[in-house]
Amino acid sequence: MRNNEVKIGIGDMKVLRQEGTLITYALGSCIGITLYDPIIKLGGLLHIMLPQAGAQAAATPFKFADSGIREMIRKMAAYGGIKSRYVCKIAGGAQMFQMTGPIGNIGERNIASVRETLAQEKIRIQGEDVGKNYARTMLIDVSTGVVKIRTMGRNEVIL
Amino acid sequence: MKINRYDEMGERELDILREIASMGTGYAATSLASMIGTKVRMTIPEISILGYTETIEKVGDPEEAIAAVLTCMSGQIQGIMLFLLRLDFINEVLKKMLNQTVENYSDMTDMEMSVLSEVGNIIISSYANAISSLSGITIKLSVPSTSINMLGGILTVPMAEFGYVTDKLLMMDGSLVVDDRKLDSTILMMPDIDSLNVLMTELGKVYEK
Repeated sequence: MRNNEVKIGIGDMKVLRQEGTLITYALGSCIGITLYDPIIKLGGLLHIMLPQAGAQAAATPFKFADSGIREMIRKMAAYGGIKSRYVCKIAGGAQMFQMTGPIGNIGERNIASVRETLAQEKIRIQGEDVGKNYARTMLIDVSTGVVKIRTMGRNEVIL
Repeated sequence: MKINRYDEMGERELDILREIASMGTGYAATSLASMIGTKVRMTIPEISILGYTETIEKVGDPEEAIAAVLTCMSGQIQGIMLFLLRLDFINEVLKKMLNQTVENYSDMTDMEMSVLSEVGNIIISSYANAISSLSGITIKLSVPSTSINMLGGILTVPMAEFGYVTDKLLMMDGSLVVDDRKLDSTILMMPDIDSLNVLMTELGKVYEK
């Protein structure tokens, strides 16, 4: 366990600069999105739960893919982050239970909304581990920008 | 009184929920007992209304492996029923039914998974039946789906399902005690807010009689 490890809950986002690790546990159908500005070593990790915010964007922006990504970009800009330099990686959007209907495809809808919002913001996804049927823990080391994914019964992978 | 948020409930409402949960868990314990031929008791159910992170912390470690059987409720009540089983409970059931046990979640064969799914199905159905027969409310259950995964990921399923209406989850949980050993399993009933009002109205009538 690192000394400076910052946990991100569901529907939340945090930013660190220079050193430390941002971590979010057990992404199921949720998606973790990291943005990293390598020039100033600024990293952010967002954990979204649902695809579109609709009227709830102002109250809980980080719960949703569209409002969450936009608010994250805005917050990181306040720390000096430059959008064109961001390295973006995403993980999650799994289907936890094999079911049809809205419960079955929430992960898929989350992935689609994350991709769409990032494309609108002109941010390219440089690494991803999405879909399938297992939960993932995602972490980013802010001193290096390395993003790792932990899953049950598999080795840790670097995105 | 119409409930608009889970945390608006008063003592009367919580009492009704406790009653529902003990009836449900009781029926589930009886079904499990007849299935595995052993004495099964239940613990006193707890009602909790918690945020996302707190909900996961209450049940366990977000990254721990756990088995889960999930069904959706529809009809007059909408929501999710989730039966969570840890290894000691799984092994007790597998021993009684197939005369075998497993070391790890990942060692489970298709046959063993199918036993789990069936046990989960019976337990969840008995729970729902208890509520129906007490209140006259019709509850339809979807075909159950089983998953072995990180606990945190499993619990995001109900969270995402209710995510547009609430930032808190209502959990009615009960555990089963097999052969006087408390084995790790939790039955969670998670109705949405509209359904909660249906439950309160219908069961309120029963109690006021």
